[in-house]
Amino acid sequence: MECRAVVSSLSDYLDGRNIWASDDEVEGIETHLTNCPACLNLKLELSELKNAARELPLHTPPLALWTRISNAIEAEVPSENGPARETQNASGWWGWLNSRKFTFSLPQLAAAGAFVAILIVAGISGIFGANQAPLKFQDVRSGLLLPEENEIKANLEHRLDAINARKAQWDSQRRADFEQNMNKIDESLKLCRHMLEGNPNDAGHQEMVRALYDEKRRLLEDVERLKW
Amino acid sequence: MVKETPSPTQSSKSVAKFLSALATGFLALTASASPSGDQNFSRAFAVSPERSELEVVNQAGTIKVTAGASPNKIVINARQSEGAAKIEATQNAMGKVKIEVTGRGRVDFEIAVPASSSLNLLSYQGAIVVTNLAGAVRARVTDGDIQIAGMRSAKVDASCTQGNVSFSGEVLPSGRYTLKSFSGRVDAILPADADFKLSASTFSGGMDLSAFQMKFDKRSHQLVEALHGVGRASIRLWTQEGSIYLRRKP
Repeated sequence: MECRAVVSSLSDYLDGRNIWASDDEVEGIETHLTNCPACLNLKLELSELKNAARELPLHTPPLALWTRISNAIEAEVPSENGPARETQNASGWWGWLNSRKFTFSLPQLAAAGAFVAILIVAGISGIFGANQAPLKFQDVRSGLLLPEENEIKANLEHRLDAINARKAQWDSQRRADFEQNMNKIDESLKLCRHMLEGNPNDAGHQEMVRALYDEKRRLLEDVERLKW
Repeated sequence: MVKETPSPTQSSKSVAKFLSALATGFLALTASASPSGDQNFSRAFAVSPERSELEVVNQAGTIKVTAGASPNKIVINARQSEGAAKIEATQNAMGKVKIEVTGRGRVDFEIAVPASSSLNLLSYQGAIVVTNLAGAVRARVTDGDIQIAGMRSAKVDASCTQGNVSFSGEVLPSGRYTLKSFSGRVDAILPADADFKLSASTFSGGMDLSAFQMKFDKRSHQLVEALHGVGRASIRLWTQEGSIYLRRKP
C-alpha cells in the first residue's frame, strides 16, 4: 500500500481494525506501518489523540437543549412527506446513515476536529511533497531527552534559519530535494524521540536520536559547503 | 582524451615559491572540448607526500580518488557533461588542494593522489569511490553511493543520506571508522583478525554480523555493541532505514 492509501484508512483502522476495513486492507496497513516510519508516527499520534479524548469527562447536554433541537427539526419536516425514517430508508446507505442518532460529547467533537485536521495536513504533505514555506525546526516535544539536546537544537535552528533565508533563490527542484530529505529526517527524529520518551534510558533509542540529529547537521552542512 | 597540462614541478621555480604564489590565488582548470560536447579539464598540483590534503565539493557527479603513481603530485581529471558548472581548483600556502564546483551541472572527477593523502569529499548527487589510500578520509554524499576499498587508513568517516556505503580494508589499532546511511545499506568488509569495538545501530533494517565471533555488550535487533579481540579500533555503523552487513575479507 502507498502512504496516501494508508493515511486515508488509518482512522478506520484505529476505530476497530476490521469493522470498516477488510482483512486484506488491515494486513496491508500493518505491513506498511512496519516499513514506513512516517505513517507509523502518524498512527501513534492519532492513537494518542484518541486515548486522550477517551479520558476526557463526558458532558451531557441539558434536556432543554435536546428539546429545542428536536422541535426545530420537526418544524422543518413537512408532514406530507410521511415519517422521516421510511423516506430515509428508501434512499439506501446515506438514508440509513441519516436515520441514525449520533450523540457526541464536546471533547469527542474536538478530538474529531483535530483528527480531521491531522489527516488533511498529512494528505496535503503527501500529495504536494515539499511546500514553499520555510522549514521550521520540527519537534513536537519540548522536554529534553538528551543532556546535550538544547545545544544541538540551537545549533541546527541557527543553521536552518540561515538556509531558509537563502532558499527563495533556489530553483524548485533543489528546494524540493532539500525539503524532502529534511522532512524524512524530521519524521524519523520525531518517531525516535517518541519512543525514547516511553523509555528514556533506552541506549538504543538514545543512539538513534543522536544519529538523526547528526544526520540533520550533516545535511545542513552539505548545503553550506555547496554554497547554495 | 583528457589533456594534461604540465605540472608546476616542471617549472624552474622552487616548489616553495610556487606554493607561496598560489597562497591566495585561483587556478582555473585547463579545458578541452571532446567531440561529444563534453568538456574535459585537467590539472596537476605539487604536494608534499607527508601532508598532502585534498578537498572536493561537487554539486553532481562522481568523484573517484585513487593512489597515483607519483608520491608528490595530485593529478585531477574532470569531465563536465551537463549544465554550466564552474570548476575552481586552488592550493593554499599549506599545500592543501581544494576543488570546488559551483552552479548547476554534472562534473565527474578522476583524481590521483599520493597514497598518504587526507581527503574531504562532498558530492550532493553522485557517487564517491576511494581506493587504495592510507590517509584520513571523510566522504559525504546526499544522494548517491560511497565505496571505499583497499584502505589502510586510521580514520574513515563516510556518510550519505540516500545511498549505500561500503568499506573494505585494514582495521588499524586505534583507528576510527564511521559508516552511516540514513536510507541505504551499510557494508563493512574487514580482515578476519581485525581487532575492534563495534557499535551498530539500525531503526528499521536488519543486521548480519555473523561473520565475526564477537563478545556482545548489548544486543538487540536495533542496537549491537560488541568486541572482536580487545577492541582496539572503533567501528560505528548506522542506518535508519537500511540494513547492516559485517563481512570477512576473503
